[in-house]
Amino acid sequence: MRICMASDFFYPSIGGVEEHIFNLSQILLKRGHKVIILTHCYGESKGIRYLTNGLKVYYLPIKVFYAQSILPTMICNAPLIRAVLIREQIEIVHGHSAFSALGHEAMIVGSLLGLKTVFTDHSLFGFADLSAVFTNKMLEIDLTCVDHCICVSHIGKENTVLRARVPKERVSVIPNAVDTALFTPDPSRRPQDDTINIVVASRLVYRKGIDLLSGIIPRFKSMPNIKFIIVGDGLKRELLEEIREKANMQDRVQMIGAVEHVEVREYLVQGHIFLNTSLTEAYCMAIVEAASCGLQVVSTNVGGIPEVLPDNLIILTKPEVDSIYEGIMKAIKRLQGYNKQSTTHRNLNTSNETKTPHASAHDHHPAKNGKLSRKLKKRHTKNSMQNSSSCQTKAIANNIVNDNLDAGDDVISSEAILCPHKCNEIVASLYNWNNVTQRTEKVYESILKEPSRSLGEILHSYLRADVWSILLPISMLHLILRFLEFIRPSRYMEKARDLPYSFKE
Amino acid sequence: MTTRKPWRKNLYENYEYEDNYTDPTFLKDLRTNLNVRFYTLGEVIRGVTVLTNQISCITGFLIIFYVLYSEKVSPTAILGPSFVLTVAGYVCFRWRILTLSMVLEDSKTLMTVLLFGFLLAPVLHTLTDAVSTDTIFSMTFIVFLFNVLFCDYGLSVAMVSKAISVNAAIFGSICLASRLSTSYHAFVLLVEAAIFFVLYPIVTREYWRCYFLLPIFVACCYCLWTISINVLWIYVSVTGFVNLVCPCIFVIQQRHKHNIHGPWDEAIVEETTDDNIDIKL
Repeated sequence: MRICMASDFFYPSIGGVEEHIFNLSQILLKRGHKVIILTHCYGESKGIRYLTNGLKVYYLPIKVFYAQSILPTMICNAPLIRAVLIREQIEIVHGHSAFSALGHEAMIVGSLLGLKTVFTDHSLFGFADLSAVFTNKMLEIDLTCVDHCICVSHIGKENTVLRARVPKERVSVIPNAVDTALFTPDPSRRPQDDTINIVVASRLVYRKGIDLLSGIIPRFKSMPNIKFIIVGDGLKRELLEEIREKANMQDRVQMIGAVEHVEVREYLVQGHIFLNTSLTEAYCMAIVEAASCGLQVVSTNVGGIPEVLPDNLIILTKPEVDSIYEGIMKAIKRLQGYNKQSTTHRNLNTSNETKTPHASAHDHHPAKNGKLSRKLKKRHTKNSMQNSSSCQTKAIANNIVNDNLDAGDDVISSEAILCPHKCNEIVASLYNWNNVTQRTEKVYESILKEPSRSLGEILHSYLRADVWSILLPISMLHLILRFLEFIRPSRYMEKARDLPYSFKE
Repeated sequence: MTTRKPWRKNLYENYEYEDNYTDPTFLKDLRTNLNVRFYTLGEVIRGVTVLTNQISCITGFLIIFYVLYSEKVSPTAILGPSFVLTVAGYVCFRWRILTLSMVLEDSKTLMTVLLFGFLLAPVLHTLTDAVSTDTIFSMTFIVFLFNVLFCDYGLSVAMVSKAISVNAAIFGSICLASRLSTSYHAFVLLVEAAIFFVLYPIVTREYWRCYFLLPIFVACCYCLWTISINVLWIYVSVTGFVNLVCPCIFVIQQRHKHNIHGPWDEAIVEETTDDNIDIKL
């Protein structure tokens, strides 16, 4: 298949959407598809660039209008997008993010050129205020031309179906994934004394609940063994610095600032507990990455977060300071219990070292997983063979202790998984990009089978949104495309050569 | 098909199901009109009296302008009663917390304002002298419209701006002052503007009851009747429309309220500002 990913958000900008597009494209390339990416130019990044494994990126010369997004004109960039789509002989246009005007524009041009379109929605949106009403109507109009939608969580699907009135069966839920081979735990990097590090990694803005965080930090004033590591930057950074100063915790709250996505692991492995205080979130990659690094995750129970991780990997709290504080205390108690056990059972540990290494955790893999996951598995096994075997014995010891204890004890419940390597294995069994890509491929295949729609049908489908005037720009766009076909016929356009498939194993 | 595991709302267990499978529990958590309040006609009519009061307030000010403009009443005859009424209003308003030092402080402010007002009255009187009367009247209409639009009726919405509404009214009165015969007339008109648009709203915001509107309405009607029947009709019909027809439209249209809530809504937390930062420590 020949696929074009279109979104305003791509490298060098950093975020969940960018990460998703890049990883999805990489695996699609590996599986022998042709993938190109359409985005607008970012400062120095302009023109055509090739990224890892020959991923071709078009940085179109379009000015940014607002919040990294281009001005939504619907028709102005049509010649440019049409030229790219035809030169690359694209079959499927895949737009990402509801906020990306370029993604919508490419999908509209694509559908008028008779191509198939897919849209991935990465965010949730309310219905309360006037701006939401307007944005939802725009999305409803844009999504009428789309053949299939993908949402990253079930909440996301409910939200998209409600606000854009897309038929339910045309919406698939395919989660994000995390490169668990990259986000591996490393308990040796944790402080060896009884210090407990709480890591926060997010943009420091209102939506990420930094106001909640500012209420939580001072609560740990009297606990000198609790330290905070805060990764990220944003408008609310000053607030946190002020709180840190007023609570006299300068030595215990470390503000790292913004870091590259790959460097986040450096800070994650130093921590014991990961704290997420988001106020709304469609999927939340950060908590999955943290769980993959073996941290105990404490998170607010909002949006799609309760769907992401099984109960034994996450402590869900209400979005209130008191509730989050309780959640953290629960996690600390669990950790302390775990540490105590691991020291008392060290003897048991060494004697049982020859026990069979973990094979059971990977049995949970969905059957769909391909070769890569097996490869990953191998790498994993190599990396964590020694640690993991010791972890297993710890877990066994854990169970023994728990059997002896009262069954109703919730401080160290047998369900909570504390061994970092075990966490990593579980997350690896739940999410991987291979699985995500295969499911996306299935969507592509199914829409390619659908009959293509005529201009009349496309125009008719726009009427569904109850905004008649939208027919004007759409038909205008159609005329522009016809005119372009006249002055620059697609059959005479030089087709771009594909890079010879050269994937480095 | 063999029995498959029941579908669960998470992202890692349902691999036996198609990705576009929709469970019967879909949109189970949807709530509509959670915080929506439906108002009765009585409530709306009572609530809208604050708006009618503001309109009547402007009408009252314009009546005073008219009697000054047409020289029917001398400026001193207006200044005297309004002084008495203002003092009475001040005593009523501050009665519970009235102290001597406060009275001294407030009268100092009053004297400063009056003194500067009196000194600057000749300047303000001739400020817009060169502008034609028609322009002045139409401009006055527009700025008083601004006053009505931006006035603080006790709602916390973005449009409310006390600064804009008060400034619009003062600007309007300065425009009108230039049409009067002497600078003493202009001074009296500006004092009245201060009473009507600065002091009066402070009192009404605290003590407004909907039945206060009735005497105000009758007084305005009587004054307008002595001036012009046509203006009286306009005033009565505007008041009637705002106070009776608009509430009916509002109550009827209420059934279209349709607010959607669900788990995707952003959690609302109190923002930490400089004021409440110390409580959290």
